Amino acid sequence: MNWKNVLFLMQVERKSGRLLRGIKATKYRENAFLAYWPYWTAAIIGVLGGLLANYITSIVYSTAAIPSLPSLSNETLSVFVVLPTIVLVISLVFTLLQQIQLSGIKATAQVMYWLPVTWQEHTMASIFANLLGLPIGIVLGLTSGIIVFSIFNGLILQALLTALALCAAAFMASSITEILRVLQVRFVGAVYKSSGRAAIWVRFIGSLLFFIIFYILYFYLTSGFTSFLQNLTQAQSALWYIPFIWLALILSYIIKGLFLQGILFVGLSALFIAGLYYLAVLLNKRFGLYEPPAITIQKSGVYTPKTGLLGKLGFSNVEAAIIRKDLRGFTRRREVIGIFIAPIIMIIIPLMQSIGVTSGSAASQANPIFTGIIFLLPAGFMAMLLGEILIGEEGQAVWRIYASPVSPKNLVKSKYFFVTLFSTIILLISGTIGTVFYHPSAQDVIVAFLETFFVVLAVGSISLSIGFKGADFSETRRARMIRQEWSLIGVIVCAVAGAAVLAPLVPYVIASFASSFIPGLSASSFNLAISVIISGVISLAITAVFYRINIGLAQDLLRKAEV
Amino acid sequence: MPFSICNSVVSFSMYTQFAVELKDVTKRYNEIVAVNNLNLTISTGEIFGLLGPNGSGKSTTLKMLLGLVQPTAGSVNVLGLDVQKQPVEVKRLVGYVPESPNIYEFLTGIEYLDFIADIYGVPTAEKKQRITEYLKALQLEGREGDMINSYSDGMKKKITLISAFLHKPKLLILDEPLNALDPRSARIVKEFLYELKMQGVTTIMSTHVLEIAQALCDRIGIMYQGQLLALGNMDELRQKASLPRSGLEDIFLRLTGTEDLRAVVEELMK
Repeated sequence: MNWKNVLFLMQVERKSGRLLRGIKATKYRENAFLAYWPYWTAAIIGVLGGLLANYITSIVYSTAAIPSLPSLSNETLSVFVVLPTIVLVISLVFTLLQQIQLSGIKATAQVMYWLPVTWQEHTMASIFANLLGLPIGIVLGLTSGIIVFSIFNGLILQALLTALALCAAAFMASSITEILRVLQVRFVGAVYKSSGRAAIWVRFIGSLLFFIIFYILYFYLTSGFTSFLQNLTQAQSALWYIPFIWLALILSYIIKGLFLQGILFVGLSALFIAGLYYLAVLLNKRFGLYEPPAITIQKSGVYTPKTGLLGKLGFSNVEAAIIRKDLRGFTRRREVIGIFIAPIIMIIIPLMQSIGVTSGSAASQANPIFTGIIFLLPAGFMAMLLGEILIGEEGQAVWRIYASPVSPKNLVKSKYFFVTLFSTIILLISGTIGTVFYHPSAQDVIVAFLETFFVVLAVGSISLSIGFKGADFSETRRARMIRQEWSLIGVIVCAVAGAAVLAPLVPYVIASFASSFIPGLSASSFNLAISVIISGVISLAITAVFYRINIGLAQDLLRKAEV
Repeated sequence: MPFSICNSVVSFSMYTQFAVELKDVTKRYNEIVAVNNLNLTISTGEIFGLLGPNGSGKSTTLKMLLGLVQPTAGSVNVLGLDVQKQPVEVKRLVGYVPESPNIYEFLTGIEYLDFIADIYGVPTAEKKQRITEYLKALQLEGREGDMINSYSDGMKKKITLISAFLHKPKLLILDEPLNALDPRSARIVKEFLYELKMQGVTTIMSTHVLEIAQALCDRIGIMYQGQLLALGNMDELRQKASLPRSGLEDIFLRLTGTEDLRAVVEELMK
């Protein structure tokens, strides 16, 4: 293996991260020190953490007032022993997350296969490249921390051994991710082929399910990380037959002086890591150049134009064409499928909590807060997210809009309709689920539906303005759609607008909650219908103002079009 | 009809109105002057070739004609309309093929063409007929239902070309229109452009394939460093370059001052 090639390939991958972060490629001069700042920072934090831990333990252990303290070295070593497994889990989660992000990338920065690079070098570089960023940062931080701490406590050999185990754990995790990545490409291709014309829907639903399951597992794992650690410490030695635990067992045996067992597990771990690596090489050799088959959506034959419903709803040909195009994009583009996840998670998580799946202490009966959340949040977030990205999602093909006879009014009308239509569909779905699960009164259902609809109208209009102002059409590596600073501004402005629309309901809600402990106060003394009407007026006013602003912004966008 | 005789078929005197008029047009990108004080008129029904080395300002000029790039100074008139004042009206009359066919890859070929036809308001019956004919002519039948992301560059180019022709524009702006096309499709497009010219459609094309420009274009403009270095038909260009019997390649290299290439090749061979 030519390690120089591996290094060069890794550098390409690291530098491609600039594109992900949106750094302008022109006239970019790299400062060697600044380019590696996450790693230096992690190492410095690790050193400081090690010094702080040493300072605290020295104070605690020098205090005679605390009797029967456990041995410091024993406690330290028991922490060292679980670190490899923790690093393995974290590295696995983050390298997989990175692969999920990369799956939507248009122009891949994969190794150029026509270069004189062997599959072994390519696989090795890819495994290391998976670890760039947070996983390496965590390994560096932990390693420097434990080494610094151990220097002061006479555990330097054990710390160095642990550091080696951490590196091996990260490599092991990344090798697994590499194997899964290659298998996933081949598996997806086989699914497309067997699904025929349904492939696009299989892909849509499959991607959605994958994201949802992954994120629920991720939330579940991160929310219960402390109990996970406790269980891990106790269970490690009992789970000796699982290769992922072997690195921890090596440390455990060597620290206890059981060198024979330690060496046995060193050999087993080395074999396992080498096996993972060679499996990844084998899979890359076999499927590395595999191209998934084309997705066929329509049958070949004589083309017959369809007459659409949108024309009957009063949309012009241009507007209907843009709406249909966006609709197709949202069910077919992997990078925008993610937008469906936020509302779905917002429906699932409160439901899980209310039926006691994720937390035993959560209420399992009808809860007005959960009802409100399940009506308001999914549709509100959908309106905000959709509006923000709907202009930038045109990407590099935006020239098609610029070069076509599309007026600012056409553009705003079609985009705004799309935002409100999709968000209203989400509202209907989430509202139905909320009604079935929480059994709110008919009045509450009507009010929740109307209020959320008003929020959708206002937030959709505002977020579209944000989408115009912050549109990012670049698609280098992945479609960015909205600039980060504008996305943040959008969150704040939409939250304020949502609060303004809902404000007339506040006296009613307060009275409802307070009526049980403030005698004489009754929610019925507030006229709910008037509150809803005021909300509607506020919403329409915001919508109208921002609709006009949007027309101006669209005019600006089309006039200053620079392709 | 062979293309070598195209130049002589239509007399210049038949052009009665300018399809394109650029007056003192300049485009600056910070310190870089992409187009410098360009004055150019192109007559109705003319096939005009815009040539020049990479970075000479050809694509910028073409984009300014469609309002895709705003000139820093000067005025651009297309088909009697001010591009900056009536952009939508101008776009309705123009068919455009960009150099890189970035198109909506999540649509199928047929969906993309359907989208374009709707945007330009092509009536349903005509839409069906034209799309079917173009797909057949450019041999895209059988792949029209596939998503565009699975198309080759040539197939994407064909889709982009069809989308430019679909609404029967009065002016065609084509940036490297024959790049990536197979010989059969390239020939069809060339013949088609000639037929359109006979119907009074103006074509402005940029290309690096000088043989195509020589065979197809009535007049040729050579741009260099943002300026129009030479303008005219083949005879006028020959005269300007003082190369009476030469082809366009020699004229181009002479006018752009890059004719002495032997030394470069010899240096490379060392």
